[in-house]
Amino acid sequence: MSVDLFGMSLNPWADAAIRLQLVVAFMTVVVMGLIYAERKILARFHQRVGPQKTGPRGLLQSVADAVKLVGKEDLRPAAADPWTFELAPYFVFIPIFLGFVIVPWVQGWNVRLLELGILYFVAISSISIVGWVMAGWGSDNRYAIIGALRAAAQGISYELPLVLALLSASMLAGSLQLDKIVEFQSVVPLIVWQPLGFFIFFVAALAELNRTPFDIPVGESEIVGGPFVEYSGIRWSMFFLAEYAGMLIMAFVGSSVFLGGYSWPFGEDFGLPFQMLLAAGKGGLFIFLIFWVRASVPRLRIDQLMGYSWKILLPFSFLQILINGFVLVYGLPHIILLITGVLSLGLLFWVTEGIVKRPLQPRRRRARAIAVQEAEVS
Amino acid sequence: MVEVLSQTSDQSAEFETQDLLLNVGPQHPSTHGVFRMVMTVDGEVVRDVIPYIGYLHRGAEKLCETMDFRQGIGFMDRTEYLAAFNAELSYVMAVEALADLEVPERAQWIRMILCELNRLSSHFMFLGAFGVDTGVFGTPFIYAWREREALIDLFEEVSGDRMMYAYFRPGGIAWDVPVNFVDRVREVLISATQGIDDFDSLLSENEIFLARTQGIGSISAERAIALGMSGPSLRASGVDMDIRRDEPYLKYDQVEWDVITGEHGDVFDRYYCRVMEMRESIKIINQCLEHLAPGPILPEKMPRMLRTPPGEVYLRTEAPRGEYGVYMVSRGGNRPYRCKVRSSCLSNLQALHELTVGEYMADAIVILGSIDIVLSEVDR
Amino acid sequence: MRGIAKSMARTFAVFLRKPVTRDYPSYHKPLPERDRAFPLLLWDEDIHEPFCTGCHACERACPVECMTVLMKDNPNHKKLEGTSSRRKIIDKFWIDYARCMRCNICVEVCNFDAIAMNNTWEGHETSVYDRQDLVMDLQQLLSQSRTGNINEWVPVLGQTNETVSEAGAEDTEVNN
Repeated sequence: MSVDLFGMSLNPWADAAIRLQLVVAFMTVVVMGLIYAERKILARFHQRVGPQKTGPRGLLQSVADAVKLVGKEDLRPAAADPWTFELAPYFVFIPIFLGFVIVPWVQGWNVRLLELGILYFVAISSISIVGWVMAGWGSDNRYAIIGALRAAAQGISYELPLVLALLSASMLAGSLQLDKIVEFQSVVPLIVWQPLGFFIFFVAALAELNRTPFDIPVGESEIVGGPFVEYSGIRWSMFFLAEYAGMLIMAFVGSSVFLGGYSWPFGEDFGLPFQMLLAAGKGGLFIFLIFWVRASVPRLRIDQLMGYSWKILLPFSFLQILINGFVLVYGLPHIILLITGVLSLGLLFWVTEGIVKRPLQPRRRRARAIAVQEAEVS
Repeated sequence: MVEVLSQTSDQSAEFETQDLLLNVGPQHPSTHGVFRMVMTVDGEVVRDVIPYIGYLHRGAEKLCETMDFRQGIGFMDRTEYLAAFNAELSYVMAVEALADLEVPERAQWIRMILCELNRLSSHFMFLGAFGVDTGVFGTPFIYAWREREALIDLFEEVSGDRMMYAYFRPGGIAWDVPVNFVDRVREVLISATQGIDDFDSLLSENEIFLARTQGIGSISAERAIALGMSGPSLRASGVDMDIRRDEPYLKYDQVEWDVITGEHGDVFDRYYCRVMEMRESIKIINQCLEHLAPGPILPEKMPRMLRTPPGEVYLRTEAPRGEYGVYMVSRGGNRPYRCKVRSSCLSNLQALHELTVGEYMADAIVILGSIDIVLSEVDR
Repeated sequence: MRGIAKSMARTFAVFLRKPVTRDYPSYHKPLPERDRAFPLLLWDEDIHEPFCTGCHACERACPVECMTVLMKDNPNHKKLEGTSSRRKIIDKFWIDYARCMRCNICVEVCNFDAIAMNNTWEGHETSVYDRQDLVMDLQQLLSQSRTGNINEWVPVLGQTNETVSEAGAEDTEVNN
């Protein structure tokens, strides 16, 4: 059996390999651009400019970083466990790039559209947690172990709301295959029907990516790099790239499932360039949101973070599935979804605000001018 | 809700576990200087913390014994570099008390303005470092430095240096402020007010920030007094004590402001007391600017080399971090026989053990940030 | 949630503001007149010799003992058919910039207004590769003043704005 690729007929294995290679190459470049974009955008949130000197407007900063990292000495702790220390970067890095298989970039262009697209995505992305634990254990460093265990606990806790949010969206679309979900949204994006689901997906994606406010495994101000503290040079850069590639893939999956991907609005009518614009724009919006949250919000402690997932996000994601189920089984109009979605999102916000225990204003005592006091006495 | 979120089961009592000895070493991005803590951690809960200090000891007090009263001012700057005007003030006022010098009016008002501006810049530094400790990536830090830059540019125009001013002299100040001082101060106050608003909006109501800081590291008023704490850390526990109001020096008895006290003595109260204190400082500075009038800045007949009669004095002022006192002994002559600095940060740091044991490891850093130490004062 | 929304709104508001970065080294901020970098010796244009007579006043007053001063008989003195009224003149002068703490005391005690703090950018940009190069000798200390590349500010201790503006008269409050 042969498959068409750019007009050539190929063995399906070769075809898949070539497509995957193209995607990986392209994504690596995009990840380097993403690192530059993060530095510039975060800088503007701080009212400063980011990199400026390396190349015009600092565009070559990522290249300079890559050259520096490649040139660094490859350190290895003497008592590091050789196999886990060596293999950890691969366990973190490879599953994320394998996740690019099912992402529908534009209509008709993808690596392989698996029918179990979302299931495959979730299964693959959870392997990288094993990589984090391997990195922490193999480093023979207390900070690394603490970071690794925190990462494992966090990653496992937030898998469930992530999966349930994606599943509730695919319930509506009727399929786990990502391009069918995108085509389902050609008129209305799923975020309108699933506001609660989108919020849960966004928060769980931040936690899976170990980004603020869930970056306590990599708590830069405490354990300084967490599981990756003993890595240097190329090995560390693989972790770094894996983090940004993960952001990219979450952004594309999120925009495909909730924001309409390449299809809303009028994607299928206006052809390929417009679809590319839509896909890139929505992915970019998602990523801008991730940066914005990073610049604004402190990090949660590990027990608060896990409490939030198990005690708050998980029940609400079950609620979302229940609502979807009711609407689908009894054939109710979709507007019910919007109303109940907004109400339950409001309920979730209210519960989140319940973290605040007491009002803000401390007491003030006046320091009266002594001249005034004496005037009153006399 | 915080209890709901952070309940841990007590099953660890059944398992045989081993406590982890964690060295938060002298080189660490968040210990505010060279400071070392050895924490014994059981899972995530801190069981014991032993602070090690002395990495920044430079013998400032001993050096002051070999310096006359004017040369020693530069060393006092460096014992508390973030609030150098306040450090100079204690020293210089101690010398004036020994030598019985009277400081002219204009010098007093200018000293007061500069000390309050320095309180602002020191509290901005606290906000920046504290925000980073809680985990916001860089934003509070950069806002803090943006505001400090405006303040430090003003200090450079007045004294010539951005951080080590050496501007106060026994008897007054070295030379007069520039002609456009009042306008410059008003400009700086506008930008500082904007900066405080930025911090208030960014942090004070953020639910995650509140979850990280409320209820953590609280200390009761009695224990705080027993440990010798002072400054905003003490006032946050509810103790109404402010040296500016209780033992007025300079012209603090002629301006009106509020003393801020907290209720619970936890990390959030220490943070918020400082934020509100910054607003009060702006009030004080505005009132001082009204009172500024032309006049001399040093007493007439200042000798070239100041000599003090024998005696001793302990003089304390309200530095941004607490009570900064100078105990000076003079045996006649032009240099102190002993100049001891009662460091506010060292006394506040004694509370670290009590505040941290029983809290989570991630909170230990936040608590250390909230006590607001600067190591040069702890070690001198 | 409202608090988090408020934080995010504030960071977005800051996103829209103009950045405050000053792009050093392509932009050098104008230094105020009183800026204190390291000390420099001043050159007397009229007689073509330094103001400094080597009287050791600054050397004694320096808290960190960063100066070494040697004086000599002035060959340009009036009694030797010269133009200068200084009997002694500076022979050798070293200041160790690595020890100097820029406290301004040497400027205050100088009887001849011969030393001033450098208030130009050259004073701040003194990085070298070898610490010994930070010990400045007499020619290095005089170079900026000889080329006229300094507009020094030498205050009198206790000067007020009024006394300064009165035709730049010397303040009599500090007796010398």
